[in-house]
Amino acid sequence: MNHVLNITATNTPAVVERLLQVTRYRGYELAGLQLTPRSDAKSLNITLTVSGDKPIHLLTSQLHKLYDIQQLELAGSELAVLSA
Amino acid sequence: MKGAELVLQVLQQHGVDTIFGYPGGAIMPIYDALYQSDIKHYLCRHEQGGAFSAIGYARASGKVGVCMATSGPGATNLITSLADAMLDSVAVVAITGQVSQAVMGTDAFQEIDVLGLSLAVTKHSFMVRSVDELAATLHEAFAIAQSGRPGPVLVDIPKDVQLADIDYQAEFNAAQPAAPIYTSLANAAKARSLIAAAQKPMAYIGGGVHMAGAMHQLQQFLAANPMPSVTTLKAMGSVAKDNEYYLGMLGMHGTQAANLAVQQCDLLICLGARFDDRVTGNLQKFAPQAKVIHVDIDPAEINKVRFANVALLGDMKQILPAMTVGTNCADWLAQCAQLKQQYGWRYDHPGERIYAPLMLKQLSERMPDNSVVCCDVGQHQMWVAQHMRFSSPRNHLSSGGLGTMGFGLPAAIGAKLARPQDTVITVSGDGSFMMNVQELATIKRFRLPVKIVIVDNQRLGMVKQWQQLFFNERYSETDLSDNPDFVALAAAFAIPGHCITRKDEVESALEAMFTWPGPYLLHVCIDDKDNVWPLVPPGAANEEMITEAKA
Repeated sequence: MNHVLNITATNTPAVVERLLQVTRYRGYELAGLQLTPRSDAKSLNITLTVSGDKPIHLLTSQLHKLYDIQQLELAGSELAVLSA
Repeated sequence: MKGAELVLQVLQQHGVDTIFGYPGGAIMPIYDALYQSDIKHYLCRHEQGGAFSAIGYARASGKVGVCMATSGPGATNLITSLADAMLDSVAVVAITGQVSQAVMGTDAFQEIDVLGLSLAVTKHSFMVRSVDELAATLHEAFAIAQSGRPGPVLVDIPKDVQLADIDYQAEFNAAQPAAPIYTSLANAAKARSLIAAAQKPMAYIGGGVHMAGAMHQLQQFLAANPMPSVTTLKAMGSVAKDNEYYLGMLGMHGTQAANLAVQQCDLLICLGARFDDRVTGNLQKFAPQAKVIHVDIDPAEINKVRFANVALLGDMKQILPAMTVGTNCADWLAQCAQLKQQYGWRYDHPGERIYAPLMLKQLSERMPDNSVVCCDVGQHQMWVAQHMRFSSPRNHLSSGGLGTMGFGLPAAIGAKLARPQDTVITVSGDGSFMMNVQELATIKRFRLPVKIVIVDNQRLGMVKQWQQLFFNERYSETDLSDNPDFVALAAAFAIPGHCITRKDEVESALEAMFTWPGPYLLHVCIDDKDNVWPLVPPGAANEEMITEAKA
């Protein structure tokens, strides 16, 4: 199952590492990552796509605790297309 | 002033008068500023020991513990202790020196990516890039360490930032007021109906209760809603000693009464605890008939491993009174009282040799009120939890989540400095003691009257116990029979000591230890065959405890 998270984060040097570290440690795989600085360059818009069998709230509740995460919303979930 | 002086000014603004650390190249400007500072720095002999002392200081006092280290190896040596603080939710601020920004990223001497290393072991971490952000960053570090669920925060400060000039006027009260704790009582009515309807309610109490300052509210809750209670390792001392329905610690080495009662309860009220695997045993078989009310300050703990029928988030002090409704479970209380009596500890151990559970009971009865006991990790740690009684969780400092050997001695140093009027005792094992034995030098240097009790079975006891039970008695690397002479070792640090081997020596030896005004080491030799009972085997449900007779 793929889950897409739309995240607004403070643009600090380690913020992406923090996101990825929590994602890996809590048992989800990275399926996509896009980031764009906002116009003031102080924040980032991040779209994080992860896959995993566990309920996604187990990840979002941990990501919410990161100090550099300002907003986090689950955009949607889709079954991963299995390729042969 | 220099950035280095600013660091100390900000620490003082936060009321810090005691710090633990070890100097080195990249943090020399801060140590230079310390030379004339009112802040008292306690030189540890290994950064891990310094950070454990900061943890002991924080846990015994409820204040923020502060430790310092230089870049590279100094910072990496902090990592284990920060992980310990992370898993036990201890408010610690760690300040590390970093190489100057001009050479950062070039594999400079004693350069390592400390910010990168910190990610998994801190609540948050900072790298300060400019002296202009230094004060605000340090204030934020203190705010984060203490807010919500506490935890360790690391601030990495390059040497050039420490040396940079800044025009800084310490603002009076610049310390940010504690952020209000978001508390939702929306589910309180649901919790009350579950409690009112329960025939077999049980309070499962964790470290979050005392950390929320809700000890008083807890006693009131248990008085107004009579129900049996159990505690985690971190919450030992949360329930008043005279509460007749308190059943002790639950989990892998919990009391039989606690585990059997939890397995039978129909409502489990989890207060500031997190269903740790050492508590639940086989999760699928844990408290199988119970509905769950989960109260915590950390939303991520709700439904993490066990579904909560009702969750209440926020300030325990507000939530506990809001859940009061009264209980009607006289039969259940009587049943639990019966279990408590039926499975009480026995101390009639045969033979002349010292039986550690009895010795620790004697220690518990003899130690002055409000003594702090700091444990290491292993068999002695479980015996302390089982056989000693505490009046507050601040008096029982034990490495819970991380289970870090080497915790006890340096934590006791921190506890003694936080509470100089109280007796502080380290109970250690012969394995654990050697892991931070260098801190005897800190005790010597500052003449800290810490009492040290080494429970010595010449084994890495807990591992040995598992080898005996689950690995066909293949004792791989757990024989420590070539231990040093611990009394002679203490003497090398000007600490007097005494060694005992027989039961009839215990009382007089404890008397001598407590009568001696300074630090003292009591070396207690026990039989290597003594094990910790009961024990829930791996994968088993908590009612499937092995006891000594069965083993």
